[in-house]
Amino acid sequence: MKKQILLMGTLLLSSAMAFGAAFQLNLQGVRQLAMGGTGTAVPWDAATIFYNPGGLSALKHVQAYGSVQFLSANTRYVETPTGSYTANSREKLYTPFNFYVGGPVRYKSRLSLGLGVYTPFGTGIRWDDNWRGRYVIQDIQLQSVFFQPTASFRINDVVSIGAGFVIATGHVSIQRAVPIQNMNGQDGKAELSGNANGLGYNIGVHLRANDRVQFGISYRSSVKMKVKRGYATFTVPSTVSSSFPYTAFKSDINLPQVVSIGVGIKATDRLTITADANYVGWSSYDSLIFDYEKNTASLQDTRSARRYKNTVIARVGASYTIGRKFTAMLGAAYDPSPVRDGYVSPDLPDNNHIMATGGVVFRANKRLNIMGVFEYVFTPKRDASFDEANFSGRYQTRIVNPGLGISYDF
Amino acid sequence: MKKLYILGLMGLMMASCKPNIEPAAPSAGEGVDFSSYVAVGNSLTAGYADGSLYRSGQVNSYPAILAEQFKTVGGSSVFKQPLLNSELGYPGPKLMLSMTQGLCDTVASLGPIRYTGALDTAGSSQNIYLAEGPFNNMGIPGIRCVDFLVPGYGAFNPYARRMFVAPSGSRPIDEVLVAKRTFFTLWIGSNDVLGYATGGGEQAIAQAGNTHKLSDVNLFNTAYDTVLNALRRNGSQGVLLNIPDVTSIPFFTTIPAKGLMLTKNDANLLNNAYNALNGFIRFGEGANYFIIEDSTAAPKFRHIKDGELLLMSIPQDSLKCAGWGTKKPIPARYVLTADEVAKIKTFTSMYNTIIYQMARRENIAMVDINAFMKTAQAGIVFNGAIFNTTFVSGGAFSLDGVHLTPRGYALVANEIIKAINNKYKSTIPLADVNKYSGVRFP
Repeated sequence: MKKQILLMGTLLLSSAMAFGAAFQLNLQGVRQLAMGGTGTAVPWDAATIFYNPGGLSALKHVQAYGSVQFLSANTRYVETPTGSYTANSREKLYTPFNFYVGGPVRYKSRLSLGLGVYTPFGTGIRWDDNWRGRYVIQDIQLQSVFFQPTASFRINDVVSIGAGFVIATGHVSIQRAVPIQNMNGQDGKAELSGNANGLGYNIGVHLRANDRVQFGISYRSSVKMKVKRGYATFTVPSTVSSSFPYTAFKSDINLPQVVSIGVGIKATDRLTITADANYVGWSSYDSLIFDYEKNTASLQDTRSARRYKNTVIARVGASYTIGRKFTAMLGAAYDPSPVRDGYVSPDLPDNNHIMATGGVVFRANKRLNIMGVFEYVFTPKRDASFDEANFSGRYQTRIVNPGLGISYDF
Repeated sequence: MKKLYILGLMGLMMASCKPNIEPAAPSAGEGVDFSSYVAVGNSLTAGYADGSLYRSGQVNSYPAILAEQFKTVGGSSVFKQPLLNSELGYPGPKLMLSMTQGLCDTVASLGPIRYTGALDTAGSSQNIYLAEGPFNNMGIPGIRCVDFLVPGYGAFNPYARRMFVAPSGSRPIDEVLVAKRTFFTLWIGSNDVLGYATGGGEQAIAQAGNTHKLSDVNLFNTAYDTVLNALRRNGSQGVLLNIPDVTSIPFFTTIPAKGLMLTKNDANLLNNAYNALNGFIRFGEGANYFIIEDSTAAPKFRHIKDGELLLMSIPQDSLKCAGWGTKKPIPARYVLTADEVAKIKTFTSMYNTIIYQMARRENIAMVDINAFMKTAQAGIVFNGAIFNTTFVSGGAFSLDGVHLTPRGYALVANEIIKAINNKYKSTIPLADVNKYSGVRFP
C-alpha cells in the first residue's frame, strides 16, 4: 500500500550551455581585427559585409576573401576563499573562419551584392573529467556558422546603405558529471547535444564625409538560436536509470543585438586612425531554460537565471602604409564582461577583456593581398562565484589568437 | 631577419600567454596549534554509517577529513584511528542499497538491506590499544555524554573495548586524555536523546548500557563540564559541536504520517470494519493517516497526527502484509507521539544551552550543527552537487537514516573549518566534499 520513498532528487542540470560573451568571437576580417576590431567606418575590404553592410558598395571590384584564426585560450581556476586547489582548462585549438565575397554587380554600379559566411560565436572549454567543478561542467563546445547574403546601394558620393539577411546555424555539446555514484564510487554522466538555428539581419549606413573622414553605423539584430530537438544521454547506475531516460530537449538563447558606430580618419596619406563603439544588448540573455521531452521526478525542466547586462565595447586602431607593398596595423579594445558577479560559471568564466592586436598586410600584386594578424587577450583575475551551484573561485584567462587571410580582387 | 624577429616576438608572447594566478598559502592563524589533534565523540565521530562501523567509513570520518586539512597548517601527518579490517560492518553487517522484493511486493524496488554474506570481522573484537594506540580519533559509537564518567564503561561497549587502555576499569574521560593533544573537537550528547527517540520514546525497550532514556540534564551538565575541563586543562584549543534535532533526520521523516495510500474500495472495507467506533477511525481514497497504538486513547489506538513521527525501523513486511497501520495499529515503539517529539526537542534544547554556555565560558568556537541541520533540510549545494536531509537521494545521510555518508561528514568538517577560520583568523582550506563517497547505487 505504501511505496518506499526513493525518488532521486532533482539534479542541478541547468547551468551549462552559454553562447556568452567569451563565445562572441568578434574575429572578423584580418585587417579590422588587427586594428582592434574596428571596421564600421572604413570599408577596407569585403569583411565590411560583417562590420557594415553599407560599406560594401565602396568596393571597386568584386572581391573574394577568406581568413582563418588559430585561437587558443588558457583559463586557470583557483579555489577561493582559502584555495589550495587549482585547475587549468585543457589546451585546445579553435579555428574560426570567415569567408566573404562581394562587390559591385557591374563596374561602377551603385548596387553591390555579397555573401558572408562566418563564425561569430564559437569555442568552448574543457576541464579535466575529475576536476572539482565537474558537476557544473566538464566540457562544452559550441560551433556556429552564419550565412549572410547582403546588398548595398550607394545613394550618392556620401551615403551608402546596406542590409544583409542572417541565417544562423550552430551546434552545441555539453558534458558534465552527475552526482549519483555507482557501487565503485564513480559519478554518473550527462551528455547533451543539439543543433541550433536562428534568423536575423544586419544593416548599416556608411558616410564618406570627405576624403579624410568616414563614419559608419550598423545594427546587427539579435538572433534567437533555437535548439528544437537536442538529445540528452544520462549514464547512471541501472537501478536509477528509469529516472534519467534518454530524452530530447528544447532550449534557446537570444544572441544579443549589437549597435556599432565608427569613425575613420585619414590623418596623413599613410596613416589612418579608426575608432568604434559597440553597444551589445546582452540583457536578452536573461535565463537559460531546458525543456526535456521526458520528465521524471528526478529530471525536471530547468530554468537558470543568467541576468546578463548590456555592455559597451570600445575599440581603436591604426593603419600605417609602409612603402608600396606593406601596411602595418595596431589596435586595442576593451570589452567589459556582461556577466554579473554571482553568475560566473566555469562553463564561461567570463571577465573584462583587454585586447591588443597587430598585423601586416602584404600586397602581393594589384589584386592579391595576404594578411596576418596576432591578437592577445588578457583578462584581469576575477574573484567570482556561480551562486546557483555554490561554485566560487578566482579565474584568469589568456588568449592568443594568430590568424591569416587572403583577398583577391576580380 | 625581420621574419625571425617577428617569430621571436611571437615566442615571447606565447610564453606569457599562460595564466599566472596562484592560490594563497593556508595559514594556521593565531594562538592555536594543530600539531596533535584529538577528536572526542560518539558514532558520528567514529565514522559510523549504514547501520554499522566499517573501515572505509572510519577512513573517511570527519576527524580524518579534518586532520587531512590540518596538514596544510602544521597538523601531524599521522592521525591514528582504531581501524577495523572489516569492510562489511562490525559487529553487525552494514546496509547496502539493493533491489528487493518483500513478501507482499508485486515488483522489486530499490531499498537498503543488511549484507547477508559471511562477515569479515575475524579478530575485530581484540583490543588493539597496545598494537596501534593511542588513538587520535576517540569516537565511540553509542556513548552518551553521561557515560564519560562511568568507570568500566569499556566492558559494555564493543567499540570502547577494542580501543581503550583499560576497558574494564577506566572511565571514557580518562581514555580520551591518553593521546597527546594540542587541539580537540568535542561532539557528544546526541545519544543522550537518540536512544530514546529511536526506541520510540517512552516505550523504548531497555538495552545494555541503558541508553533508551533521556539523560538527566544536571548529570549531562556535570559530565560535559568535566570532559571539557579535562580537555582544556593543558591549554588546548578546540571546537564544540552541539546536538542536532534528531527528529529532522531521515530515520524519522522518511515515512510520512499521511503516507497510507488507499483505493476507494480498501477505504470502504476498512471503514466498515471500524464502524463500531462511530467515525473515530475514518479512511478515504488517496492519502490517509496511519493507525497507531496509543494507550491514552479510548480504544488504545488512533490515527497518527501531523507532527508525529513514524520510525524507519518499522518492518516493511508488517506494513505491507500484516496490515500494520490499517487493520492493526503500528506499535508505539515505532512511533514518536507529539508529546514525545516535544520532549526530545526540549531536552535537545536544554543540552544545547549547556554546550553554548560552556563554549562562551571557555571562549572557544562552537559549531551550531542544530542550525546547520535546518539549513540542510532546505538543501546545501556544494560545487554543483545538492545535499539535503532526504533519505537516500539527499546524499548526506547514510542508509541507516541517522548517520552520515562520507560526503555528509565532509560537510560537517567544513562547518568546523569555517568556525576555526573565523575564531583563529586562520585560512585552512575547506575539504572537497565531492571527493568523498555519497550513497552508492547498484
